[in-house]
Amino acid sequence: MKKQKSMGFSAEHRQFLKKRRQNVALVWSLRLGILVLLLGLWELSADLGWVDPFLTSSPSRIANTIASLYDDGTLFYHIGTTLWETLAGFAIAVAVGYGVALALWWSETVRKMLEPYIVVINALPKIALGPLIIIWFGTGSTAILFMTVLVGVIVAIMHMLSAFIETDKNKMLLLRSMGASKFQILTRLVVPSSLPAFISMLKVNVGMAWIGSIMGEYIVSRAGLGYLIVYGGQVFRLDLVMSATLILCVLAAGMYFLVVLLEKILLKNTEN
Amino acid sequence: MKKEMLRFSGVSLIYHTKLGETKAADALSFSVSEGEFVAVIGPSGCGKTTLLSLAAGLLKPSEGLVERQGSCGYMLQRDELFGWRTVEKNIFLPLEIKHIKTEENCERARALARKYGLGDFLQSYPSALSGGMRQRAALIRTLATDPDVLLLDEPFSALDYQTRLNVTEDVSGIIRSEGKTALLITHDISEAISLADRILVLSPRPARVTHEHTLDFGEEKNPMRRREMNGFSGWFEILWKELNA
Ligand SMILES: Nc1ncnc2c1ncn2[C@@H]1O[C@H](COP(=O)(O)OP(=O)(O)O)[C@@H](O)[C@H]1O
Ligand SMILES: [Mg+2]
Repeated sequence: MKKQKSMGFSAEHRQFLKKRRQNVALVWSLRLGILVLLLGLWELSADLGWVDPFLTSSPSRIANTIASLYDDGTLFYHIGTTLWETLAGFAIAVAVGYGVALALWWSETVRKMLEPYIVVINALPKIALGPLIIIWFGTGSTAILFMTVLVGVIVAIMHMLSAFIETDKNKMLLLRSMGASKFQILTRLVVPSSLPAFISMLKVNVGMAWIGSIMGEYIVSRAGLGYLIVYGGQVFRLDLVMSATLILCVLAAGMYFLVVLLEKILLKNTEN
Repeated sequence: MKKEMLRFSGVSLIYHTKLGETKAADALSFSVSEGEFVAVIGPSGCGKTTLLSLAAGLLKPSEGLVERQGSCGYMLQRDELFGWRTVEKNIFLPLEIKHIKTEENCERARALARKYGLGDFLQSYPSALSGGMRQRAALIRTLATDPDVLLLDEPFSALDYQTRLNVTEDVSGIIRSEGKTALLITHDISEAISLADRILVLSPRPARVTHEHTLDFGEEKNPMRRREMNGFSGWFEILWKELNA
């Protein structure tokens, strides 16, 4: 549609399209504008001494900090550490969560049996398990990975299970009238019809994975963006805290954007 | 004497739930013979869908016996096309489920789709189809496995009036020209009169067969023309009284 030439349209429709394009352009310039304005104001108030840059840092100091991290070669080491923990934890949580949800859908008895336990584990603040995790898994990446999986997996299970259970009853009836086995109902109907729920679960779990990995790094780590933030806080280098936070924002947004891209690809043909 | 495709003998069905039991069918006895188009009318909630589920073998009777010759195809109130599959893949679905997706069967299904005006839409997704065309696609999906008995559960009631008349005409034409045996459930009296060879009237829940009529429109099978025939309003009055007795 988008690529269609506007030649064939009526003058009124061309006018409409032009207005729409202008509107999109306006929104984007406003978005950029507010960012530039805020950064400028921040920089200016730090430079002019309205606020103490020691406490608030400033855009130029953040840029310098990131540059010096880059120069001493640790920038990508920290980014890589956190990114790996987050992505691996995300992947494991999603895969395990999906698998468990399938098993729970399959057997009502198992579902009823495990329901109260899942509810309790979901309600438990995972950070309370910090000391246990350190004792069991040490203070390395494994502990952080475990924390990340723990934070994400229950959400994945609950999200997918409720989608599986809500599978359209009439479509199930239709398949059963064709003589479909439970496995066929699963592969032909339950899995494909829950694809939108899967995508929204991925979106939620992107956030969960970052919470898990950063929280994990707060408790145990010697590397990573969460470590930089904690360390920066302890030695009162707010430039470092701000820099790591900014990088985190960019990475989290990037990962979310990838999921949105995946959504566009996977759901392009369906009507749900 | 024609072959009996479906026979209910004293069939009762009780639903059991936490809150108690509901009797939805009470000593149902009737039969449908080969090539016959039977309509079942009854007030809503009386147990019509239950009757059809029994006929399809999706429910086991609490009492009595359901006997069916050959395979059956089920068509529901809404088309229930799968939005993530193309129209063609939707039509092949029962072939897949029954593990008979041979090139020959696929071609047969495609030919049906082309014959009944869906040829250009085989590669489209259902969202591109109008309500009437979606219902036609659902019927062709039902016919893909060449079932011996068609079970139709109020297949037109979700459509708006204009579309409903057209689709009824379409579907009845397809069923007649394919020579299928059909059991149609409806709560629409005129729909039953315009389509069926024979009509069964059900009581409010639990469903019992209270009346049975063989229609006298002779060889006229077309729903539109039937609606304009003399006997039509007479049948309507009779059935309306029986339904509201
Ligand atoms: N699975 C079920 N469990 C319990 N009660 C049911 C179930 N299905 C239908 N019923 C009850 O049986 C009665 C008949 O239902 P149904 O056959 O769907 O009626 P109809 O199709 O004529 O509207 C209704 O009162 C309904 O509430
Ligand atoms: Mg019904």
